[in-house]
Amino acid sequence: MSNSTSLVPKVLTSSMPDVNPRTRRVKRGLFAVASVLALSACAQNAPQDTWKPKGENAQKIQDLQWWVFLIAGIVGVLVFGAVLYCVIKYRDKGQPIPEQTHGKAWLEYAFIAGPALLLTFVAVPTITTVIDLNKTDDATCFINVTGQQWWWEFDYPVAADGTICGYAPTGDALPIVTSGQMVIPADTKVVIRGTSRDVIHSFWVPALNGKRDMVPGRVHTWRFHANEPGIFAGQCAEFCGLSHANMRMEIVALSPADFTTWLDGQLAPYQAPEADTLAATGEATFIAQCSRCHQVDGMTDADGEPVIAAPEQFVWSGAAPNLSHLMSRNTFAGGTWDLLTEDCRADVWGASPDEFGAKYLAGVSDECLNEIDLKEWLRDAPSKKPMFADPEELTETDGKTRGMPYLALSEDQINELVAYLETRK
Amino acid sequence: MALIERPAPALIPAVATPSSSYGVFRRPVETTGWKSWVFTIDHKKLGIMYGVAALFFFLVGGVEALLIRAQLAGPNGTILSADKYNQMFTMHATTMVFLFVMPMAAAFGNYFLPLQIGARDVAFPRINAFGFWCFLFGAIFINTSWFLGGAADGGWFMYAPNSSVPFSPTNGIDFWGVGLQITGIASLTGAINLIVTVLNMRAPGMSLMKMPIFTWMILVVQFLLLFAIPVITVALFLLMFQRSFGATFFSVEAGADPLLWQHLFWIFGHPEVYILILPSFGIVSEVLPVFSKKPLFGYPLVVFSGCAIGFVGWGVWAHHMFASGLGPISVAVFSVSTMAIALPTGVKIVNWTLTMWGGKIRFTTAMLFAIGLIVQFTIGGLSGVTHAVAPSDTQQTDTYYIVAHFHYVLFGGAVLGIFSGLYYWWPKIFGKLLSERLGKWNFWLMVVGMNMTFGPMHILGLQGQPRRMYVWTENRAGDGFFDLGFWNLISSIGAAVLGIGVLLFFINVFISRKHAPAPLDPWDARSLEWMTTNPPKEHNFDQVPTVHHLDEFFHRKYEDRGTEDHHDYHQIATAEEIMADQEANADKHIHLPSPSYWPIVLAFSLPVMGYGVIFNKFMIPVGATLLLLSMFGWSMEPHTASEADYDPPTPEGGAELEVVSHG
Amino acid sequence: MFTTGSKLLIGSAIAAALFATIYGITQGGSLGTVGLVSASLALAFLAGVNVFVRDSNVSALDHASFASSAAAHDSARPSLWPLLVAVGATTVTLGLVTQRAVFMLGIGALFVGLLEWVVQAWSERASGDRGYNDAARGVMAHPLELPIAAAAGAGVIVYSFSRVMLGLPSKSATVAGFAVAGALVLAVGTLVGLKRGVGKSTLTGALSIAAVALIAGGTVAGFNGREVERHHTPADIAHDDECGPEETEADEKASQSVASKSNLIAEITFNGTELEADLIGANGEFESLTLTRANPNNVMFRNKSGSDARLVIDMHPRADENGKLLGPERICTALVEDGGSQFLTLVFAQSSRTLDEGYAFTVPGSDAELEVVVP
Repeated sequence: MSNSTSLVPKVLTSSMPDVNPRTRRVKRGLFAVASVLALSACAQNAPQDTWKPKGENAQKIQDLQWWVFLIAGIVGVLVFGAVLYCVIKYRDKGQPIPEQTHGKAWLEYAFIAGPALLLTFVAVPTITTVIDLNKTDDATCFINVTGQQWWWEFDYPVAADGTICGYAPTGDALPIVTSGQMVIPADTKVVIRGTSRDVIHSFWVPALNGKRDMVPGRVHTWRFHANEPGIFAGQCAEFCGLSHANMRMEIVALSPADFTTWLDGQLAPYQAPEADTLAATGEATFIAQCSRCHQVDGMTDADGEPVIAAPEQFVWSGAAPNLSHLMSRNTFAGGTWDLLTEDCRADVWGASPDEFGAKYLAGVSDECLNEIDLKEWLRDAPSKKPMFADPEELTETDGKTRGMPYLALSEDQINELVAYLETRK
Repeated sequence: MALIERPAPALIPAVATPSSSYGVFRRPVETTGWKSWVFTIDHKKLGIMYGVAALFFFLVGGVEALLIRAQLAGPNGTILSADKYNQMFTMHATTMVFLFVMPMAAAFGNYFLPLQIGARDVAFPRINAFGFWCFLFGAIFINTSWFLGGAADGGWFMYAPNSSVPFSPTNGIDFWGVGLQITGIASLTGAINLIVTVLNMRAPGMSLMKMPIFTWMILVVQFLLLFAIPVITVALFLLMFQRSFGATFFSVEAGADPLLWQHLFWIFGHPEVYILILPSFGIVSEVLPVFSKKPLFGYPLVVFSGCAIGFVGWGVWAHHMFASGLGPISVAVFSVSTMAIALPTGVKIVNWTLTMWGGKIRFTTAMLFAIGLIVQFTIGGLSGVTHAVAPSDTQQTDTYYIVAHFHYVLFGGAVLGIFSGLYYWWPKIFGKLLSERLGKWNFWLMVVGMNMTFGPMHILGLQGQPRRMYVWTENRAGDGFFDLGFWNLISSIGAAVLGIGVLLFFINVFISRKHAPAPLDPWDARSLEWMTTNPPKEHNFDQVPTVHHLDEFFHRKYEDRGTEDHHDYHQIATAEEIMADQEANADKHIHLPSPSYWPIVLAFSLPVMGYGVIFNKFMIPVGATLLLLSMFGWSMEPHTASEADYDPPTPEGGAELEVVSHG
Repeated sequence: MFTTGSKLLIGSAIAAALFATIYGITQGGSLGTVGLVSASLALAFLAGVNVFVRDSNVSALDHASFASSAAAHDSARPSLWPLLVAVGATTVTLGLVTQRAVFMLGIGALFVGLLEWVVQAWSERASGDRGYNDAARGVMAHPLELPIAAAAGAGVIVYSFSRVMLGLPSKSATVAGFAVAGALVLAVGTLVGLKRGVGKSTLTGALSIAAVALIAGGTVAGFNGREVERHHTPADIAHDDECGPEETEADEKASQSVASKSNLIAEITFNGTELEADLIGANGEFESLTLTRANPNNVMFRNKSGSDARLVIDMHPRADENGKLLGPERICTALVEDGGSQFLTLVFAQSSRTLDEGYAFTVPGSDAELEVVVP
């Protein structure tokens, strides 16, 4: 049938109930047609579709795997055909007992040589692609990625020539620390140097590349490249404990101009909220309740002393997300919940590559802020995202939490904090 | 009449006749009642007990699976908490791998391997019993964690450092680690036992290349176990010390490399895959020829490919670690070796198909399951090839695509093979045929169910749904044909269908109690295990058969009266006639070892020490004392019971017993 | 039911328990009570053993054969055990005045000798049949003898071998040592395998010589090679007063890189004037080394300066509310000779942005400095 429609048929057959081998062939055809229709109708595939490469590396994988799937599909059809033939042709219809033979040697060898040849054809491009995907020396942008239970931190080192990721910010370059969303310049080879602060995590953004585990104590590199500006969904893929399901991230690709704007935004100095606003009260609440773990760069306390977070004394992984520019990102709490309301989110995710940069850089405006989830989170984080909140479970970690604890904030405090966080553009 | 003899009094020195049991307890020599099971060292009874326990854990693991599917049927499932979900998938895998498929293979191996090679028992019957009790106590030990603070929650692969105490503060992983060490003893002793049995106790005339293929595959598996189990034991031992005794084998701060665990685990874990699948390959290699009325196509090649899998299986472990940052050279090498192992596996598929080719096929339930295995396993094998391609695997690993793959391999392969074996050998074990009508319902529901459950997982995985997530959410699900929600729901419904299919088997077993006794040779079978009564006598064969052919039984029943290329098979004897001939020429002296208390007592001391490791270190010396005492008692015990152990001692009838010398 | 001996022992155990209670209540004082309770437990244990073996008394097991039993008048066979007990007793005494190890050795010899003596005496009286008696001794004693002897033998061999290997003067000698030992084992194994006719005594002789040589070598090396047992981990030498240019000893034989080669975040090379960093996986020039906060960072220090050098970094640890520092103030490698390398694990608590002076690697005695940025 239409095996030219790449690998979809193979995927479908295996998913099909194997009711009767005879009807399978017919159904295989039907499904192939149906899937072509479905594809041509351009339905919205899941954002982590592994068959929709949006960058060089994912494309290389795609180029390699589609015909492996095709070969596998053809071999499958041949085997099923042979079985079906036997089942129909050699039913016991009263024929005499067949010859008691163990078969012919040459046939056996042919059946070994054939697949061996096929596999050789697969093996050669596999090896070259493996080596190609592991290259790091052609990259111009380096980002350090650190996983911990259950969120990702990204920091951008400053190169000797004062650039960050190959681009010079307007002002002085300083290392940038952010989390949840990794912003990269589009059409640039970016290498992440990843590690972990506690258990093994795996960095996976299917549209751009396969997975790479982030192992504590080791540095693993993995290259990313996005063809066009856009936002690409990812998920921690290595089981990392209780809230593994709630550890997500996105890669955001921006055009060079937009990327420089983003750098400037991240390096913008601290702006205290205007006095006597709800946000100003929120700043005090933040210093009292949040700042022992969450760093906001440049923030000073009432005495003018810099407020420095010390998460290693309270959190087992030793880190908490830097909230200096929280509202420049679209998600919070390990990338699992949106800072944007549903409509605003759809607007950003559905934007064309040309419009995307402007929409993303607009950040979270007041009317787009998803207050419901944010407030729920502040009210009782562990009940929203499981994090070993039971005090008994903290005895083995010297009382340190493995994520944000329950803080017993009042509704007033929550409102103040939301108002303050809204100003962290 | 054959006699199972008690020891001959004349053997004991004339000068003095001290008791040979040195103790105050009598040996449990009963042949009926619960004692005859608990203290038995008969390979058939142990095989049945292995099977019953394994099927029980199959149900336990199945319930765990159904809970997982119920949780994932819709977005943001709330049936299980994150914590319980993690325990559930960890224990589902652990239960199915270690407590169902492995003991099920042990059940078939124990029961049929001696029968197939014409032996009267395994080489070390008491060790055999010890192995079973280690398995059972270990299995119960692991599962008690459900009631003692929660089961293991690190996944069956238990990657370090997530398995360390700070990340899993309950005792679940302790139970898991210690329990699997105990069940490991069962596998290891069983392996040595069966290897020695096959190599030393084959019937006269049975050369290795005349050995039934099931026995061959079990032999390969035992060698795999022999080398794989020590590796995982080492890993579990390190884990136990890491968690319970403050060692730092996997603590990064102390300079450890967490990948050490992964290497240890998968050097065990990959051969383990073949440990799970090869027994089923053996079973269908028996079933297909019987119901096709043809010998296995390319028997020598199937044997060699089994051995090849046994060897190459050791060189592919790192394909479980393609994403873990090994470096391109290692990845490329393991990628190629993984493709290479597809060859011997493919050989088997081809040979099974060609066995049916030109045959005379009867579609019994056992045969249906065997054909089902060919088809389903092929799907799993082919999806396996797609992630032998390492770059492709970096997209697929840790997604539902992998879940689909290994369920097609393990459910479509191992489990369908096991059910094929159950239907095929049920009359041999219990003397009753299972209902064929219900059996076909059972087969079709299971096959439909498994394809509905695991088929959609290919789509889920390729659409980017990772494994081991306790919820999935709408905003990563997409819509249209590839809507993850739709396929998740189908998968969950399929799981229910599958559950009903499995349930039918137990119903079938239940109603088979009332069936009439099965005929002696219901399938017109080909191998030695059918050359005895249903169920077999305690001593298996009245007369140890002399073997002239592969498929000896078939060649005793049929004769080729054709010439040259023309074949004309005529039945020259029925199974009943062959049986009658055996009974007429029954061996006069049959010597079987006596039952013993010590295997179960010795095995019992291990979980005692296990609980000691977890709860109170003082229990360790208590368990160790029991262990030493029972080892002592075991080694002092003669292999046959003394006359004084029988109650009442045989009266004058003893004179009928003939004197044999104990070899 | 119970034999005479068992009755006696059970009675004694009960009596001891009774006296312990009485003594405990009336007299008080722990020593006497503990003694009596211990006696009671010991007697109960003996009683248990005795019940199990039924006094080792043929008559208790089989009345009829008692009359014909030769146990009473078969003469005792030669025995090694009295000698061992005597040696043990002497060694114990010797040990009391000299060394604890000698004392323990004596206790061991005494224990083994007495136990074997008892077993031999029992087995010789088990029946009149010598073969049967030997078998009886075997089943009784082998379960203990064989595992203990095997464990002791394996332990001695492993320990001796490790001492010899650790005592070898250099790494290449160690490699050669392993090669020679392996080749010897292989050669002997091949010889035995090829020449089926090799006599048992020849083999035993060869193995004995090897064992004696190994143990002798081990003993010598054990006394000579004390030094090698000392090893330094980076944490051991992380004291502030040891981070100057003066010499501290590093263990050259302890591998710094077994598990760490693939775990490195950066390699830092000192060429005599400046420090250069090579970040694993990153090419291009970076003005500073960026290391992750709150995470073990493994770095390798390579000294290519031509003279001894060490790498030092101030860690700026935070203090808890009592003013106690949460971590070492300063971390350094041991003094690394030219061409050598050493491994260092660093965990930074604070972001360098929050510090006044930031972090930097330095080499005492030179101006080399490498800035470390901790985001």
